[in-house]
Amino acid sequence: MAEASGKTLMDLISADPTPIPAKSSSSASASASTSSTASPAAASAGSHLQQPMSTKTTLGEKKSKRATLTQIQNDTISVAKAALNPVKANIMPQRQRQKKKPVSYTQLARSIHELAATLDQKSSQKQLVNHVFPKLAVYNSVDPSLAPSLLMLNQQCEDRNVLRYVYYYLARILSDTGMSPGGGIPTPNWDALADIDAGGGVTRADVVPRIVNQLTSEASNSETEFHARRLQALKALTYSPSGNSELLSKLYEIVFGLLDKVADVPNKRKKGVFGTKGGDKESIIRSNLQYAAMSALRRLPLDPGNPLFLHRAAQGVSFADPVAVRHSLEILSELAARDPYSVAMTLEKLASPAGALQDILHLNDVLARVALARLCHSISRARALDERPDIRSHFNSILYQLLLDPSERVCYEAILCILGKYDNTERTDERASGWYRLTREILKLPEAPSKDKSNKTKRPQPLIKLVMRRLESSFRSFSRPVLHAAARVVQEMGKSRAAAFAMGLQDIDESVHVNAFSDVLDDAETNDSSHPEGIRRTSSISAGPGRNETIASLLASLMEVVRTTVACECVYVRGMVVKALIWMQSPHESLDELKSIIASELSDPAWPAALVNDVLLTLHARFKATPDMAVILLEIARIFATKVPGKIDADVLQLLWKTCLIGAGPDGKHTALEAVTIVLDLPPPQPGSMSGLTSLDRVSASDPKSALALQKLVQAAEWFLGENANYAASEYAWESATPPGTALMMLDADKMVAAASSRNPTLAGALTRLQRCAFSGSWEVRIVAVQALTTIAIRSGEPFRLQIYEFLYTLAEGGVQSQLSEMHLSNGEDQGVSGTGLGVLITPMLKVLDEMYVGQDELIKDMRNHDNANKEWKDEELKKLYETHERLLDFVSLFCYIPRAKYLPLGPISAKLIDTYRTKHNITASSGSTDPTVLATGISDLIYESTQPAPAASNSSGLDDDLVNAWAANLGDDGLLGNNAPAMSRVNEFIAGVGTDAPDVDEENVFSRPSVGYDDMWAKTLLENNELEEDDARSGSSSPDSTGSVESSISSHFGGMNYPSLFSSKPSSQATAKSSGSKYQSTYEGYGSPIREEPPPPYSYSEPQSRESFENPMAGSSSRSYGSDDDEPRKSTGTRFGTALYDFTAGGDDELNLTAEEELEIEYEVDGWFYVKKKRPGRDGKMAGLVPVLYVNQS
Amino acid sequence: MILAVLFANSVGNVLIERFNGVPAEERLTWRSFLVKLGAENLKGVKNEELLVACHKSVYIVYTMLGDVSIFLVGKDEYDELALAEAIFIITGAVKDICGKPPTERVFLDKYGRICLCLDEIVWNGLLENTDKDRIKRLIRLKPPSEF
Repeated sequence: MAEASGKTLMDLISADPTPIPAKSSSSASASASTSSTASPAAASAGSHLQQPMSTKTTLGEKKSKRATLTQIQNDTISVAKAALNPVKANIMPQRQRQKKKPVSYTQLARSIHELAATLDQKSSQKQLVNHVFPKLAVYNSVDPSLAPSLLMLNQQCEDRNVLRYVYYYLARILSDTGMSPGGGIPTPNWDALADIDAGGGVTRADVVPRIVNQLTSEASNSETEFHARRLQALKALTYSPSGNSELLSKLYEIVFGLLDKVADVPNKRKKGVFGTKGGDKESIIRSNLQYAAMSALRRLPLDPGNPLFLHRAAQGVSFADPVAVRHSLEILSELAARDPYSVAMTLEKLASPAGALQDILHLNDVLARVALARLCHSISRARALDERPDIRSHFNSILYQLLLDPSERVCYEAILCILGKYDNTERTDERASGWYRLTREILKLPEAPSKDKSNKTKRPQPLIKLVMRRLESSFRSFSRPVLHAAARVVQEMGKSRAAAFAMGLQDIDESVHVNAFSDVLDDAETNDSSHPEGIRRTSSISAGPGRNETIASLLASLMEVVRTTVACECVYVRGMVVKALIWMQSPHESLDELKSIIASELSDPAWPAALVNDVLLTLHARFKATPDMAVILLEIARIFATKVPGKIDADVLQLLWKTCLIGAGPDGKHTALEAVTIVLDLPPPQPGSMSGLTSLDRVSASDPKSALALQKLVQAAEWFLGENANYAASEYAWESATPPGTALMMLDADKMVAAASSRNPTLAGALTRLQRCAFSGSWEVRIVAVQALTTIAIRSGEPFRLQIYEFLYTLAEGGVQSQLSEMHLSNGEDQGVSGTGLGVLITPMLKVLDEMYVGQDELIKDMRNHDNANKEWKDEELKKLYETHERLLDFVSLFCYIPRAKYLPLGPISAKLIDTYRTKHNITASSGSTDPTVLATGISDLIYESTQPAPAASNSSGLDDDLVNAWAANLGDDGLLGNNAPAMSRVNEFIAGVGTDAPDVDEENVFSRPSVGYDDMWAKTLLENNELEEDDARSGSSSPDSTGSVESSISSHFGGMNYPSLFSSKPSSQATAKSSGSKYQSTYEGYGSPIREEPPPPYSYSEPQSRESFENPMAGSSSRSYGSDDDEPRKSTGTRFGTALYDFTAGGDDELNLTAEEELEIEYEVDGWFYVKKKRPGRDGKMAGLVPVLYVNQS
Repeated sequence: MILAVLFANSVGNVLIERFNGVPAEERLTWRSFLVKLGAENLKGVKNEELLVACHKSVYIVYTMLGDVSIFLVGKDEYDELALAEAIFIITGAVKDICGKPPTERVFLDKYGRICLCLDEIVWNGLLENTDKDRIKRLIRLKPPSEF
């Protein structure tokens, strides 16, 4: 902060303009605030100002700010009093006394009052212009109590400079709505102050009507001499907030009145366009007034249905003042976006080859021409004008001519318009026909008015050639904005091209199909006859193969130039270039170049995280446009994961993995999964362990933060594998034909692995990697790996299940641990449990598998017995079997989602017997404990007897490949992207191109997410549920109790509700968390707790309902019945009632205000909070929400 | 919409800021983002050399003029090129008022007039006057075109 010059904003408000002795700004303000009695306000305000860089507001700063405000407040009150009781004392001597000390706001305000009173003296005016007004500008807003003096100055002062300031400050008073955009030294809320000082406070409400009155009367003053002031008065009026309808109608009245007088007089506009010099006085004044009126109209709200509004706006096109013309065109282009027909009709004549719009092409105002491009685009693409192809073609022709505009801004706007990018609404057909237009149409300048044009552009030119030439030359520019914009245009070109491909125009570069395409497109676009003779289909002129080659070669040479732009030192330009390259990458081209560009780019530490994520989101958008590119995009995403794990948003990457996995289709699934597993191959980020890897896969995680991020990424990848490997490998236990007996015979581990990999290399590969993760790496990574393995074990048939079982068993026994203990210690990840900790933690998972195998064994034994004795199965035996089946299903459901109706924990051979029992007892497969809560609570047996659940509404049709595929296809579509998970909304937001919110500055915040998500809260409560249930659970089910605690707490971090997963049927996973916790928590609390102490998971939904939108057809129609039954179990467990003991004020959105004595319905308990419903809405209108348990008396 | 115009000195103190259509709670973030951007990139940059950045659909163009750095944030039609245009006008006006690329001292001495100029150039988030002479006339309360 210490700065040699030491000049700060503070010096500006010092009375003495001579330089202040150099000192650091902070010390200056500090000393000022301590020593000066007259101006602590300004001084401390200054100190507040000077540190915008520090993002953390320290307590001290806050204090000083408060002190400032109090001081200003005191000062203002005294000023207000002073204004009421005129003070004789002159400010001047005071000022001289305290040289070099800043002038406080009070002093400035007082000077204005006094100088306004002594306006007749020249010195007063000088004082105002040179000292008082400029200093006042430093403050954020202006005190309304100054308004009377300002108005007095406005009426009496002759000095133009004083008056200009007066208008400036009047406008600021008008615009001030408490959050003034002024910046500068903060000022208090004047109105609040005035309220405090009930005696003499002046509020905005008091002065605004007076200001408005005076300004409106000035704005209506038609004296010639006055017209400059009239302009400023009108301008000041437009600053008033648009909420005031009375003022608004007054303004419309003034503007329309003004336009009435000045607009309709035919003026010599030709002269005006090329410069206003030499005009007569009258026409110049008129032009000035036209300008004022049009500028004011531009700031007024649009009035789309009003023909008068449209008429006035359209008149502006012919005005002499270029700024007025610009505003007029901007208004028209906005109107045309809503109602192209009437705008087109109004402008019909102006658009003709000799019309006024043609002149605007040569108007010296860039933004006017930009607005013209938008206007022409809106009209030439309007469906409403299908009847009037002539009008459309006129506008189209103007749009194409704008491609030749000398300004890049205008030319690019025209290109974007032609490409079908107008605003943020992305329409594929618009985009596709945009690409078609760009590649097929030609520009021929109209014959008529080109008197000042040289002949070189007269030859008809294909648009694509013009555009390419223009872009290529732009890329040679040294100006970074130009490079950035050009890269952006190329990106948009890529988008339109991708849309064209997606619309079935993939062979657009081949001549053979040209005519076929034009047929296709003519339906979607316009009929050929709509084009004027100037714009003809290229296909009819040159449909030879040479031409098509030209497009390809043009593109190739452009992309060559684009690639060289990566050398630009500006990282944002490079970012845009990378995005452009991603968009221009076609599915069939070699990826190597792009990959190496991105890899080398990302190695540059200058890339900010936001930009990296932007590129990642671009991959999403690219995938959405061209699902064929799934594998390519995953390859690219891999680079992000390896190069900058600390900078990317793991959620977004996850989502990309998932969408791409689905989009990859049956053939690409293996490759897609490989791309994810690559993350697991990453070495731990210790510097020593990075040898032997190719540069592409080398991790750049040198600092602890990226190491942590990498670990999270690895966890995410493991979780993803666990959830999705079965999908990718198309291996499901419930579809496996291998009877368990076969598998049991192959107890030799090596044989098993060999068999596994030969049967399904995809799954085997995933398993190998997960296994490796399960015994190396950090504790967190290992536990997730084990969990993923368990999930796969449950979902896969043999021999995979056995293979995993075997592995887990060894791991639990510590065999693997001890073998690898050396390595384990070497990477410093020992958690202090010397390896056994993990073993104990995985025991529960192992126990489930144990139970399953024991059950299978017994079943086989039983079956043999029956077979040998040739006995029929008795009903009790069947019942026992069925109960075992259901019990196992419940346990399995605690770990992961499985289709209950089809899943056979006792192996395929049990199918027949279970079926028999079901048929006998009329149990549909999906009934019983399929209900998500009951199912997952695992206390199904207990509730089952008391409350017989209704038979499921739909019989679950089980799972077949078609369903899976259909669902997958669905997911690739908006179904997935429409989900409102944070990552999805980020993706959607990106694709929609919105987002103007402020960027994250503090890099520390990269990982900071909501500390406790809803899911987490829920899971935790369940973990801490009451003992009763726990006892019941113990008696009901003995062995796999500890599973629950580990599983649930992990699943709350990595469970289905957080990551997108093919199997994460939301209801079940959510219920899993709930149930398991409630039952099994206390037993293994000791092990559960470290997990809970983990940093808050970054993957938490904030919106509980988001999981509902995640539909899972894998569960067949039963997933729908989940939703519908969702509320019932809660009620069946008994809704409780209670009364509020005390008043409670909600501290957050999900909390509920309580008034003591209020009656409540308690829905459920969450981590020390009740979710309650009120009988009637409270004052805040809320009916339900969270309240602390202690505030409620349960009845 | 030109979302923000911000002047800062060489050590990152904000001298002038004008926000349009930016929620109050985001202004602080924007301010720190811009100042940080300047601190990281503006060292050794020539006068009026334009730098560019973007965040989501918002564009940022910034430059250095004497001791003062100038930032413009815009969206929609105010893309990087339009902002470059606007910043060119602003730097031109500031140079006119200060006579040369300003030191911070000079800038502060002319603070009031610079505010008036800015008021004529950016009006309610839209670019208004672009012509130097016209701006000069308007801040002296003369009509935009004189006879």
